[in-house]
Amino acid sequence: MEQITHVQNDAIAAIQAAKNTEELRAVELDFLGKNGKLSALMKGIGALPNDQKPLFGAKINEAKNAVQSMLDARVQDLKVGELSKQFEAERIDITMPGRAPRYGREHVLQQTTNKIKRVLGSMGFVYKESPELEDFKYNFDALNYPPDHPAMDEQDTFYVTDDKVLRTQCTALQGRVFESTEPPLRVFTVGRTFRNEAVDRTHSHTFHQVDCFMIDRGISMAHLKGTLGVFAKAMFGDEVKVRFRPDFFPFVEPGVDYAISSPKLFNGRWVELGGAGLIHPNILEKYNIDSREFSGFAFGLGVERIPMMAYGVDDLRNFLENDQRFLAQFA
Amino acid sequence: MKLTYSMLREYVDTSFNAEQIADKLTMTGFELEEITEVEGDKVLDINIMANRGDGASVIQLAREFLAKVPNATPTELFLRAEKRFPANDTGNRDIWSKTSAEIQTQTCTRFSCRIFENIQNGPSPEWLQQRLRQIGQRPISLLVDLTNYVMMETGQPLHSFDLDKLAGERIIVRNALDGEKLRTLDGTDHELHPHHMVIADAERAVALAGIMGGEDTEVSASTTRCLLESAHFVNTSIRRTRKELGLFTEASYRFERHVDPEGTTAALNRFAELYLEINNNSPVGGIVDVIAAKPPLVQLTVFIKRASRLLGMEISLDQAESYLRRLGFAIVGKSPDSLEVIAPTWRSDILREEDLIEELGRVHGYELIPEELPIGSTPIGGPQGFELLTDDIREAALRCGLDQCISHSLRDIHPLDAEGTRTQVRTPHSPEMAYLRNSILPSLCDAVRKNNAENIHIFEIGRIHNDETESTQLGVISSGSFENPTWRESDPTSADFFTLKGTIEQIAHAIQLPVSYRRTTTDPRFHPTRQARIIFGKSEVGIFGQIHPLIAVKTDLSPTAVMAEITLDPLKTEQTGVPTSKAISRNPAARRDIAILIKKEVPYAEIDQAIVKSGGETLENHWLFDVYEGKGVPDGQHSLAIALQFRKLGENFTDEEANGLRDKIVAALELLGATLR
Repeated sequence: MEQITHVQNDAIAAIQAAKNTEELRAVELDFLGKNGKLSALMKGIGALPNDQKPLFGAKINEAKNAVQSMLDARVQDLKVGELSKQFEAERIDITMPGRAPRYGREHVLQQTTNKIKRVLGSMGFVYKESPELEDFKYNFDALNYPPDHPAMDEQDTFYVTDDKVLRTQCTALQGRVFESTEPPLRVFTVGRTFRNEAVDRTHSHTFHQVDCFMIDRGISMAHLKGTLGVFAKAMFGDEVKVRFRPDFFPFVEPGVDYAISSPKLFNGRWVELGGAGLIHPNILEKYNIDSREFSGFAFGLGVERIPMMAYGVDDLRNFLENDQRFLAQFA
Repeated sequence: MKLTYSMLREYVDTSFNAEQIADKLTMTGFELEEITEVEGDKVLDINIMANRGDGASVIQLAREFLAKVPNATPTELFLRAEKRFPANDTGNRDIWSKTSAEIQTQTCTRFSCRIFENIQNGPSPEWLQQRLRQIGQRPISLLVDLTNYVMMETGQPLHSFDLDKLAGERIIVRNALDGEKLRTLDGTDHELHPHHMVIADAERAVALAGIMGGEDTEVSASTTRCLLESAHFVNTSIRRTRKELGLFTEASYRFERHVDPEGTTAALNRFAELYLEINNNSPVGGIVDVIAAKPPLVQLTVFIKRASRLLGMEISLDQAESYLRRLGFAIVGKSPDSLEVIAPTWRSDILREEDLIEELGRVHGYELIPEELPIGSTPIGGPQGFELLTDDIREAALRCGLDQCISHSLRDIHPLDAEGTRTQVRTPHSPEMAYLRNSILPSLCDAVRKNNAENIHIFEIGRIHNDETESTQLGVISSGSFENPTWRESDPTSADFFTLKGTIEQIAHAIQLPVSYRRTTTDPRFHPTRQARIIFGKSEVGIFGQIHPLIAVKTDLSPTAVMAEITLDPLKTEQTGVPTSKAISRNPAARRDIAILIKKEVPYAEIDQAIVKSGGETLENHWLFDVYEGKGVPDGQHSLAIALQFRKLGENFTDEEANGLRDKIVAALELLGATLR
């Protein structure tokens, strides 16, 4: 019996002396293995009187269990220690730069276009496109431009032939729609327009426009103002207000330009955004739409104006030069 | 149009300062460009709407202000202007008989003039000189300054001739003779043609009607007798001549837009009264007035309920009547819901009821219009059909990691232009933007150079014009590594034919179209043995491949760059965007890898087809995972390692079944000349 206690104490000492899990494994073999010291004691059981045999056996098992559990606990401790050493060895500098996977960046004009499409699409306006190289008749005649009218002066147009022009306004879509669609209708487009102008910070021969129009029974300037209000709020924030001012465009009557202001933007000034009005009755009648039964509104604005105003872009040329330093700021 | 605060105040009595007046004018549609202070007075620069030529006058701007601000009152001068400056006496009859005027052309509707004698055409009085300086004009002499000043006030262009220099001392308004010569005041010589309208004396042209006077008959310091012209011309004629001869004057500016056809004599009277204030005892002749055509009378009815409905705000009959009166309309009839009016002759823009409705809205105030949302039927909004498909393709390109570009359509010729006729702009702004692009690739090439980037993967979807057809095209240029250099060892993958092929397949998958290819060698922009035509569904849509090494040199692109050019319009006829769903097996898959030796000229597509055909339905997936040639592989052959993955629905694969299928596939490949390695 004493022998058992002796061996058990030796084992405990050895466990405590072990410095790592490998040494512990040796200790385990030494005491608890098939030929280990505690197992070896079992061989002495035969020499004992029969009545002491069970007691002796139980004692050995007890010792074995005690050593085993101490050993297990010690292994656990050492493992934790070893892991933390490993963690220390695996320490990284989390401030090192990240490695970006490829991410397709959307052009800022596309982002703006998407926003426009979401807002107007959600209000039931159908998105349509029409040619950039447009028939003269859709760009001017269909829009109530009298021949040789001074208003044409404002748009020095790129001609390809006498009948084909690079459209000066996306409003050119209207005639195409009215030809093929009966009212009521709600349509908008976002597209590229051209004017023969010199390029500088605020002018370009190529820019983009939104044009939005609807025809239904009882449509009024109030509906135009309401729609523009929702649109402007979606683009520039909830505090935006819309103001109408009389203006002249051949394709609307009454015609207005609309400005927006917001306490948070443009120092509270009114900033003109585009032109609008009720679709000119001459146009409705040209397409056999009864101007006594139906009325409609139309509004247009420059797409580039939106990021220029919202993000403070101050040079129009940036939009079509594809400089990634510019574009990466937005996506 | 520039005017000073004092000039306006002669016509309106108001407590408003210059800025407040400008605000009100802006809200009537006459927008303030800027307000400056010159020689102690505020100068307003007002933008005149293209259809409101009448607004280029102090009197009409005063009228707009008075209509908008009810508690401002018209001055005595304004009330006389309303009556067209009635003269106390009609002038000296003796002088009256000394000249005559005749209209021989349809583009002049009225010619009025009068004669001034015993003139001393010295400098103008200081007040007049100052006002002209304030509005940016150079004082010249009394006669010239007064014509300019009265034009600013009334909007009616005037011209003073030296009567002694007019042959026959009379006026004929006619078309120019073919080849007739005229030197205008600015010293330029013009050779005229019958479509040009001139003012002539008994012998020759002495002025370009409505645009500029001639040098020969110009008034000078020695002028003692003057004929003052005040006429009305048809605007399109003036506009054509002005554009053709490149002469832009204050007079042409007004005539092009519209001048009151009934305003000629009023301007002569206003001139005479200012002239007599300065030169009290010089004789003034009566007015010679030749009317070739009376302006049409525009009589219209406006229904007040309809006006309120269209404007979206309530306007009463009384308000409507008051607004229109203040703007100079004559009310000739009235019912409980309508007004019948005659438009003033200076308002050529008033042609139908809606024009009157705009007048009501303008004066009532657009700020009173409430914000309401449209009523009526609301369709499903947003992009549909081809527009939606284009959006889906753009999204797919972005998800493939391509950066989006948006570039100019107008550009010059480029080595990456497609074959085909390019569309040319007739009057380009510069040679660099004379053509419409016929491919997206040149634009993308510019973008690569702009960014000076070694690794760049970009796309654009935009319009192109080729062979007189406009199409929507997707262009891609992909060059260099997909990862920017970092402090870690980089991903060695860089763009090549197959990375771009994979991208094209992803895009086709996004719109649920099968993609196939056709071998080609003929597009000179591409490497002849590394190019392929692309077929989406049944439609051939474009080409892709590696850049031709010689084009790479010309364009400064990397010789390893790959490019795709896909025209989207053919997809309008394809059924796109409808995925089909198959049941997904929950049983484990069995994988067998094979390695075969096969001649290199056997296209992989044939191997692929043989595997699919022999593998049958339970071949869930297969992929090429290694291509090897060299040691251990006979010349002209390569070793292909292919993974085969089998799976059944609701049942496990046994080893025997998997091996059996593998053997069947190998047997099929052996028919192509493959041997198992």
